[in-house]
Amino acid sequence: MTVYSFYIFDRHAECIYKRRWLPRPASIAGKSGQSATPAISAGGGQTVRATDDDSKLVFGTVFSLRNMVRKLGGDDDNFVAFNTSQYKLHYYETPTNIKFVMLTDTKSPSMRIALQQIYINLYVEYVVKNPLSPVEHPGGVGVNNELFEESLEQFVTRVLS
Amino acid sequence: MRRASRYPLGDVTVFSLIIINKAGGLIYQREYQAGLRSLSTNDYLVLAGTFHGVHAITRSITPKLPLAQTSPATTTPGGGGSAPPAGYSYPNPGIAASGLEHLETEKFRLTCFQTLTGTKFLLFTDPMTGNVDTIMNKIYELYADYVMKNPFYQLEMPVRCEAFDRHLGAWLRGRT
Amino acid sequence: MAAPPRHSAMLSMNSAVATPQPMPGDMSQGPPQSLTPQPSQGLRVPSNRKTIYDRHLNRSRNAELSRASFAYLFAEMVTYAQRRVTGIQDLEKRLNEQGYPLGLRLLDLLFYRTTTTSSSALSSSSTSSSPPNRPLRILTLLHLIHGPLWRLLFGRSADALEHSVSPDTPNEYMITDNDPLVNAYISVPREMNQLNCAAFVAGIIEGVCDGCGFEAKVSAHNQPTEMWPSRTVFLLSFGESVMEREKVLERSGIK
Repeated sequence: MTVYSFYIFDRHAECIYKRRWLPRPASIAGKSGQSATPAISAGGGQTVRATDDDSKLVFGTVFSLRNMVRKLGGDDDNFVAFNTSQYKLHYYETPTNIKFVMLTDTKSPSMRIALQQIYINLYVEYVVKNPLSPVEHPGGVGVNNELFEESLEQFVTRVLS
Repeated sequence: MRRASRYPLGDVTVFSLIIINKAGGLIYQREYQAGLRSLSTNDYLVLAGTFHGVHAITRSITPKLPLAQTSPATTTPGGGGSAPPAGYSYPNPGIAASGLEHLETEKFRLTCFQTLTGTKFLLFTDPMTGNVDTIMNKIYELYADYVMKNPFYQLEMPVRCEAFDRHLGAWLRGRT
Repeated sequence: MAAPPRHSAMLSMNSAVATPQPMPGDMSQGPPQSLTPQPSQGLRVPSNRKTIYDRHLNRSRNAELSRASFAYLFAEMVTYAQRRVTGIQDLEKRLNEQGYPLGLRLLDLLFYRTTTTSSSALSSSSTSSSPPNRPLRILTLLHLIHGPLWRLLFGRSADALEHSVSPDTPNEYMITDNDPLVNAYISVPREMNQLNCAAFVAGIIEGVCDGCGFEAKVSAHNQPTEMWPSRTVFLLSFGESVMEREKVLERSGIK
């Protein structure tokens, strides 16, 4: 299974964390482990711009679909995932209105539990319980700490693939 | 019993069907079984328009994977308007990037089929159902027969074809 | 009497064609060696007696035409007829007029096919001995429409044939089709619910009746039932002259 990207949106509809994983090129896939999956935030200017737009589009999509689903299925219904011919988008919303979104390949199973685990075991542990992190995270302040990023990296590379 | 053998995957619960024209306008909406909340006509119109936009966005946020830097001359798979930008490829090269096809929630499953001419069929079913594609194909067939061959139907306008209602209703009732 | 002049006209036309040597591109006559030598000039018939008129033009397995093509064509005909019409009756009249010449022409083919199967001699001009194949009485005509015509057009017989029960209208007959082919894909809008596009078929019937010398008005009416939602009744009302002639023929015992 391949994970393409991961986003966290806070209750103010702001993207407080985003990360993209590039598939390892086939030639060096066996050689290196986790170090070969660079986070895209360190990429060139053009790429950063593209991902910035993407996060807004992703939020717009999940927000619209979530509202549509609630309208049709009732207030206790939840939008879980959708897929296109190219990718699958998984969605998880916490009771505090934080939205977790993950884009994977189309053949992946449901990631609802995985997103919940990221919330409980990583986000709550390393962001919420971190005394140095602020209550709100404008621009990703407090979420992009080393502990959270490192454990997310491990979770995605070891647990999910 | 004849039907059970024809469709071995079991019963299908179809909640409702929506057809959206290529401009995002709602042209058909019918409920077949209770299960979803029914909205006002205006809400359905808004829903159709919203979905039309979201559908286009879901196609544009397709992950773009950079091709290996060592071989920049690698050709990207050509695919008309849905080809990725130069230097990038889509996760499933060879298949045209589509918009939303299936959406799952806890209570229902939405299947969207877009024809090559841009009309979208939205089918709301029970999440436990398989072979939705069979139903979708049949709906498209009935649409082609009883809507497009009807001299009184004006293209892109709301579908008011009694024969379409009748055949579709009878077919869906026969299955469930 | 239309039959003898028609026959002689065909003879003269074909004798003109028969005098020169066989044309290379003439598919209807078949290869020259399959022709039977005719004693005198006349209609040239292949040895198996199958001319182009005897067969469907479509030689595919079940001699079927695409239903979809017909549906699109007919939809376009209805759309065309709908331009600048004043109302439903006007629209039905136009559809009727589109069918009428078709009925007139079809009649010739219908007779030709029925005569070649019933009477043997084609080239012999002794029509007096062979039974008259043109219907003279109303009932024969109705059976021709109900059976052979319907089979030629739709591949099956019509579903019912009735005479009006009302004593005021002894000149009215009804032919019922439970599911007319022309209406298969048509949903008439609610505000036009009087309209039946089978008016086109009514026009064909009218053409057939007129071609046989029966003056008649034919109209199509919706009579939906639970089982047959597009059931259509074609109402044939024959003219006064036809009814008078019918009485004379009945008295003289002509079938």
